Amino acid sequence: MNRMVDMTTTDPITLEVVRNKVDGIANEMQSTLLRSSFSTVVKEGLDASASLFTPDGETLAQAIAIPIHLATLIPIVETITRTFPPDEMKPGDLYIMNDPYLGGTHLPDIAIVMPVFFNEKVIAFSAAMTHHQDVGGMSPGSVPPNATEIYQEGIRIPPLKLREGNEFNHTLVEMLKLNVRVPQVFMGDIGAQISACTVGARRVSELADRYGYGQTLQIFNELLDRSELLTRKALEAIPDGTYSYVDYLDNDGVNLDESVRIQVAVTLRGSELHCDFEGTDPQTRGPFNAVQSGSQAAAYYAVRAVTDSSIPTNGGCFRPVSLHLPEGTLVNPVEPAPVNSRTATLKRIAGSIVGALKGALPDKIPADSAGELLVLSLGGKNLSGKPYVVGEFNAGGSGGGPRKDGVDVIETDGSNCMNMPVEALELEAPARVHRMSLRRDSGGVGEYRGGLGCVREIEFLTDNIALTHRGERHRHAARGSRNGGDGAKAFSKIVRQDGSEEVVHSKLFTVVHSGERLIVETAGGGGYGNPHERDRQSVQEDVRNRKVSEESAKKDYGLSI
Amino acid sequence: MDIGVDTGGTFTDLICRRPGHSDLVLKVPSTPSEPSKAVMNGVRQLLEAAGDEVGSVRRFVHGTTVATNAVLERKGADSGLITTAGFADVLEIGRQMRSHIYELELEPETPVFLAPGARRVEVIERLSSEGEILEPLDENSLRHAVETLKNEGVTSIAVCLLFSFLNPIHERRVREVIESEYPDLSVSLSSDVDPAFREYERTVVTAFDAYTKPVLRDYLGDLATELSAFGVDAPLQVMQSRGGISAAGTATKRPVRLFLSGPAAGVIGGSRAGQASGSHDLITVDIGGTSCDIALVAGGRPLVRPEGRIDGYPVRVPMVDVNAIGSGGGSIAWLDEAGGLRVGPRSAGADPGPACYGRGGQLATVTDASIVLGVLNPDYFAGGSVSLDRQLAEQAIRDTIAVPLSLSVEQAALGIHRVVNAQMAEGMRQVSIRQGHDPRDFALVPLGGAGPVHGIPLAEELSIDTVIVPRHPGVLSAEGLLVAPIEHEVSVGFPCDLDSAEINALQKVFDDLDSQCSALMNAEPKDAENIEIIHAADICYVGQSHYLDITVDLADPSVLDSIYSDFIRAHEQVFGYSTESPARIVNLRSIHRSRGREADVPITIDPISGDPLKERRSVIFDTDSSIEIDILDRVCLPVGAVINGPAIIEQADTTTVLHESWTAMALESGELLLKKE
Repeated sequence: MNRMVDMTTTDPITLEVVRNKVDGIANEMQSTLLRSSFSTVVKEGLDASASLFTPDGETLAQAIAIPIHLATLIPIVETITRTFPPDEMKPGDLYIMNDPYLGGTHLPDIAIVMPVFFNEKVIAFSAAMTHHQDVGGMSPGSVPPNATEIYQEGIRIPPLKLREGNEFNHTLVEMLKLNVRVPQVFMGDIGAQISACTVGARRVSELADRYGYGQTLQIFNELLDRSELLTRKALEAIPDGTYSYVDYLDNDGVNLDESVRIQVAVTLRGSELHCDFEGTDPQTRGPFNAVQSGSQAAAYYAVRAVTDSSIPTNGGCFRPVSLHLPEGTLVNPVEPAPVNSRTATLKRIAGSIVGALKGALPDKIPADSAGELLVLSLGGKNLSGKPYVVGEFNAGGSGGGPRKDGVDVIETDGSNCMNMPVEALELEAPARVHRMSLRRDSGGVGEYRGGLGCVREIEFLTDNIALTHRGERHRHAARGSRNGGDGAKAFSKIVRQDGSEEVVHSKLFTVVHSGERLIVETAGGGGYGNPHERDRQSVQEDVRNRKVSEESAKKDYGLSI
Repeated sequence: MDIGVDTGGTFTDLICRRPGHSDLVLKVPSTPSEPSKAVMNGVRQLLEAAGDEVGSVRRFVHGTTVATNAVLERKGADSGLITTAGFADVLEIGRQMRSHIYELELEPETPVFLAPGARRVEVIERLSSEGEILEPLDENSLRHAVETLKNEGVTSIAVCLLFSFLNPIHERRVREVIESEYPDLSVSLSSDVDPAFREYERTVVTAFDAYTKPVLRDYLGDLATELSAFGVDAPLQVMQSRGGISAAGTATKRPVRLFLSGPAAGVIGGSRAGQASGSHDLITVDIGGTSCDIALVAGGRPLVRPEGRIDGYPVRVPMVDVNAIGSGGGSIAWLDEAGGLRVGPRSAGADPGPACYGRGGQLATVTDASIVLGVLNPDYFAGGSVSLDRQLAEQAIRDTIAVPLSLSVEQAALGIHRVVNAQMAEGMRQVSIRQGHDPRDFALVPLGGAGPVHGIPLAEELSIDTVIVPRHPGVLSAEGLLVAPIEHEVSVGFPCDLDSAEINALQKVFDDLDSQCSALMNAEPKDAENIEIIHAADICYVGQSHYLDITVDLADPSVLDSIYSDFIRAHEQVFGYSTESPARIVNLRSIHRSRGREADVPITIDPISGDPLKERRSVIFDTDSSIEIDILDRVCLPVGAVINGPAIIEQADTTTVLHESWTAMALESGELLLKKE
């Protein structure tokens, strides 16, 4: 599509007014999406996002709650517009897809895309993506930790018309309903996505009514150009060069003794940023592979994090960014590799790109964060015989920075999930928590100490509880920066009825029984700077507040007591 | 006479209402280091102006920022925390979610300052998730814990034990021991402050209670003493965050319920103004210097949410649902590196303030734009008490915005207004949509000095056709104090599936809650009569984490069915869908409310005199060419007067801008009703 951009035609006031409006529209779509969705993963986990796109398929505005959703709809809109040329689209049409190998992320994330018309011409796309509670496959919830190919993960949807000129594609709807476990919830969430798209479409057409076809598109393009310009200026301020980083996933959940390597070389040249993942391990047998769209989202997140956060987020921010994702690797697998558990991978990719930039911006980038989101799930029957499944998330510490200590037990990089209150867990599952505390001495030592991980000790109260443990950082610590120490590695063990102890190798599916205990210790963030240069008062405070032991204060920080 | 005093950051606002007289209003500068000074100073001036005896003060209602400021300025008590063994760090760990997703160097999300590690201690005890004692309270561990805190210099202790909301026995024993053995320590129990599940949220609000209680006790105690020494016999009453007033003594015991004291009073004042004009569904927007506060009033009552925030931290007590967005009169206009015009969130605040204040501010603000557009009269700002400099406003806009963008100063000023209006309108739309309301169904009530300046453009953006300008938008919080009901609320966690709930059990809990409310009501002045009793339950679908407040009618023989069907209806309204899935009870709540006093003192409007036309002035509306329009004096507008826009209506505490194709009518109640033609 032709784009005629003349930076001088729209006055800056109208631009800023429209920018506020398109951001507002995306937020309104997001509210509608969250408000009207059925599944708890959306309502409680905020695992859904809404976007507006230009007719060229660039992001115009996006509302997200979870960073790895950033820009993940771009390849989907691309695929849909390639399959169905916008010139042939009609009002009332609605498109659907989820296939990761055609531009999606993982199968539960289903996208709905609605063209927005002005005088029968497409002026924008309104799109919504929701993590559906279940899309079929080998296990309820459609995120099987032991999947070895995508066919086990649920139903794959290529780009298809869900509606043609307001007429639903009943064949497709019936096929979908028959392939998911809870069709009412599934269709309810699809309905919520459609309402979000409808709200967005209505408000964008109102906008177009006000400014007309040509000027509206002109404004959209100028908004993107502006964010591009601001991003380029921010990238220009970073010294040119190629900066590399290597980090690891503990394993792929299938081959427990094999770490998975992520290698990235980030090249800055002028205002361009390029990420080359050559050297990254081949795709895994287990479901930790991240398809292109996810790797790209992780990279975009990293770019937003190292540039100025006041830059309006839209497709313009991503124009200066390019990626090389070698085929057949963890970051660009070939089908039918399984992909459902890619969150851990995306977190590590985002962390590695930011980590690489330490070379360019040593005074700006903190030490590595734990970047660990431990996923525990318990399932079985509770004391009164009712079936239950409970999932909970536990974070580690963030890295110490050039100006501040890391934060204890905090979500970082790609994800942003809440933990589960002890009282909620005990009310829902036959379990008793004996401890939820900060993990002393787990923060990497440094002038600015890494954030601490946490210790959680859970006793099980019935027999035959199915326990899934999906951890990270059990084998590879969050690294310190500029003579700061590494954060403590994560560590988990199960104490069995007979008193024997089993160390958990990061990923585990097992059955536990009454009286057995799981003790998890999440990882600490890396420290920043020489610990001997840490402010003495802060070291003493840390001892007083039980964050650092006296031994460590003496040994690592050189405190004379 | 009735006196309302609302302490704000910059000004302390007072209002005095007497039968047969029109209201007297007064603004005096606040004295943040010693807020009671401004209060007493204002009261003296008010009585003088009224020419009345101090003995004639019949009611004295106060909105205070003391609890809020103690938190914002970290000037609370040296507080400590006692928890169940194994859980001392819950306060510091929090919920692990971060609020700024693109920041690399993160800030802690939890209020550690309330009790850093050294001031958090554990006692051996444990209750089950059913509230049964698994491990009795070990009193040796308790004494050791309290000694540790004493040695740390703690003067106020928060106690939060696991599952205490189901069974407060251990927490109460902790208090008994502390009160008998360490009588100089203040104690706050989580089972009193917030008996509801989720230990982090309960711990935080209890720790805030311990942190602010001594400060508030001193302040309200001293103020009551001063008032009584001055001759005011009326008991001191205080506005609570949920929009009802309470005796100062009760308020002191529940300081965390005062964080939104002032803003809640504003919303009550706004809802009174709306009702007097015949509108019961309102969006109030209070435009201040650094932010604007948005709230919804549905069916005549402000929306109350079960949890709010202070300084970014969760505070789980009911409060009027006031949402602040970072745009206000002091918001600074700036250019980004791509030449984009942005407004806020940085604000010039009160010092140096907008450029036109002449206090050294060089940056262009929204207020400066209002001066340039001719909307504000620089010689009649805040009733002429502050004189503004038009030259400085023009210069700031010219230098920082107009010249770099090659615009005229007027175009730039208009642009600043258009941008800030777009921001505020999107904020207002968000607030209504999140609650499941369409803003078009609401009337707009603009508050604060700058509110009526932006009222109509905001209404236009939101397709709202009615704007109600209260009599005194600039002191509306003070007025809200006078019309608010006396209200007491007590709640308790009651986790139970709705299917298996028993009416008798509910009845028993409500009886207990009612007797607690009655005791609080008995502490009020004896005119607290005609008490309305409301029973409510927090209900959610099984598995959900957020809940809705559903009214419970115990007289209804099929009350449980009604709760369920009302819940489904409310869920549909707020979340846009409902299912027939099973639901559960989370908390039960009793509210005792004594009706507002408005009816007792009829509002009197003095007969007007004089010509309302003050002058004609050039004002810029939508294009950069100015037009000359009438400038009217609000106090001279006779009841029933209808004014066609464009016009400007000035009064001491605000300026109402009436755009073309809008009309204003002066109502008998004193409000100005603006309608789109």
